[in-house]
Amino acid sequence: MIKASALYIVIIIALVIGLLCSSLIVAAYLYRIQYQRKFRQDQLENNVSSGINILLNSTDASFTREKTFSLFSNDMDSVSLQKVPWGVYDIGIVKTFVQRDTLFKSFSFANTIDSAKWAALYLIDEDRPFSLSGKTTVRGDVYIPKAGVQTAYIDNKAYEGDKRLVIGTKRTSERKLPPLDDNRLKQFEQYFTQAANGDSTLSGKDTIKNSFLRPTHVFSFKKTAKSIENVNISGNVILYSDTTLTIDSTVILKNVQVYARAIIVKAGFHGNCQLFATDSIRVEQHCNFGYPSCLGLMRFKSPVVNFQAKISIGKNVSFSGLVFTYDKMDSPLKPLIITDKNVKITGQVYSQGILQLNDNTEIDGSVFTSRFWYKNSFTLFENYLINATINSKALSPYYLSSGLLPVSAKKKKVLQWLEAN
Amino acid sequence: MAGSKLKGRVKSSSILEVIVSMVIIVIVFGVAMMIYTNVLRLSLSAKKLKAQALLQETMLKAEHSTENTSQSVTVADFRIEQEVKPYPDMAGLIEIHLTAFDANQQKIAELQKVITSAP
Repeated sequence: MIKASALYIVIIIALVIGLLCSSLIVAAYLYRIQYQRKFRQDQLENNVSSGINILLNSTDASFTREKTFSLFSNDMDSVSLQKVPWGVYDIGIVKTFVQRDTLFKSFSFANTIDSAKWAALYLIDEDRPFSLSGKTTVRGDVYIPKAGVQTAYIDNKAYEGDKRLVIGTKRTSERKLPPLDDNRLKQFEQYFTQAANGDSTLSGKDTIKNSFLRPTHVFSFKKTAKSIENVNISGNVILYSDTTLTIDSTVILKNVQVYARAIIVKAGFHGNCQLFATDSIRVEQHCNFGYPSCLGLMRFKSPVVNFQAKISIGKNVSFSGLVFTYDKMDSPLKPLIITDKNVKITGQVYSQGILQLNDNTEIDGSVFTSRFWYKNSFTLFENYLINATINSKALSPYYLSSGLLPVSAKKKKVLQWLEAN
Repeated sequence: MAGSKLKGRVKSSSILEVIVSMVIIVIVFGVAMMIYTNVLRLSLSAKKLKAQALLQETMLKAEHSTENTSQSVTVADFRIEQEVKPYPDMAGLIEIHLTAFDANQQKIAELQKVITSAP
């Protein structure tokens, strides 16, 4: 007997239709959720980008403390901006949030180069000429003393470079170097004079990493001469020492700042960091400093026993970034930068005192100095450049300078992306 | 002959059963159609996505341009209104507000961003 059962069949059909409808609703719901997430993500990325533009255009005083505000006084446009001075550069932190989604980016930024002030070489005028000898190349615009540039016969070697002597425009220099930025120097003075509190040991870890979104991790070794080795330190970390700090080749530093009386970087070190000292910095041979790095020697008060502050860079060192010396008192014993043979510096050298370049030193970028020294076994030559290359054209057009230097323009750009989610 | 085929009895549904079934099926179909049209109506249209992509593209161009002015342009069936004004308390920054309208002059998408005035 065949059963008719119209009701059963209808219920089954209704169930099938219900199943289809519910799957349709679920699919549409998921699609909508995903789309909203994507929309919020786009919105957040837009806001982060706006925040970055605001930070890059901000004046020095603003955003030193974290500031949260609405970009356009609408919904979904809250940003939180902060600018942290980080050595010769600045760190920007941008956070933006919509509902429970948060997007952040931290980056370092620096100034573009002011082409009107930029020079391959700036040698102050001390009423004497500037002499070239051996295989020397100076390429780019220069500011040299009124007495001009000439060739010289030193160590049984005549000048073998380009006939034009300087491949670029020659301008007359002033009696003093264009000054460094006062605000940044004050900031450094504060770093050196304030008593830094922090951990006195590196706690035996092999990796120390700190995000720029968190407070700075400070290590202060105080008056203990410390040698750091077998450790990888990166991010928002500052090392302080009231005496000598030795950095071994087994150490990897990334975006770290070091402040000490004297710093010794052992042979074979690789990393990118900013090292600041008051008395001396010694970089031994075969070290490699990636961009952006900085070696800065700053004297804000006269030492008890007067001696010459010095940055010495060993053989075959490759350095990318800024090397500078500064003496607030402008004492007669001027700070000295010495480069050994085959040193390559890509970036800027600002020597308020003396710059002694040895054979085969190559500076791809710019040199500002009060005086050149060249020493052989018997004699010291002043304002002689021998077997050295200064080439401003070899510097990348994307190179950014620190706001500390006089050649920096007002416009700022992102130097390095540090962290993002 | 025909009578021999109908020897067994066929159980049929009562008129009441048939009516109830019909009512149920009509209600179920009605609800299903409602759900279907609602899902279709509320889900995002390709038009909206296209408008948003267009606004992103226009914003990108504006970021690389040195001369940004308030203007209205028509791109691929959309009218894009570009409003440019200086960002308050910040020299060198401008606020760009882009709005896309469809052929019926209905707002489809909008985008706001702070950019530097001279890239």
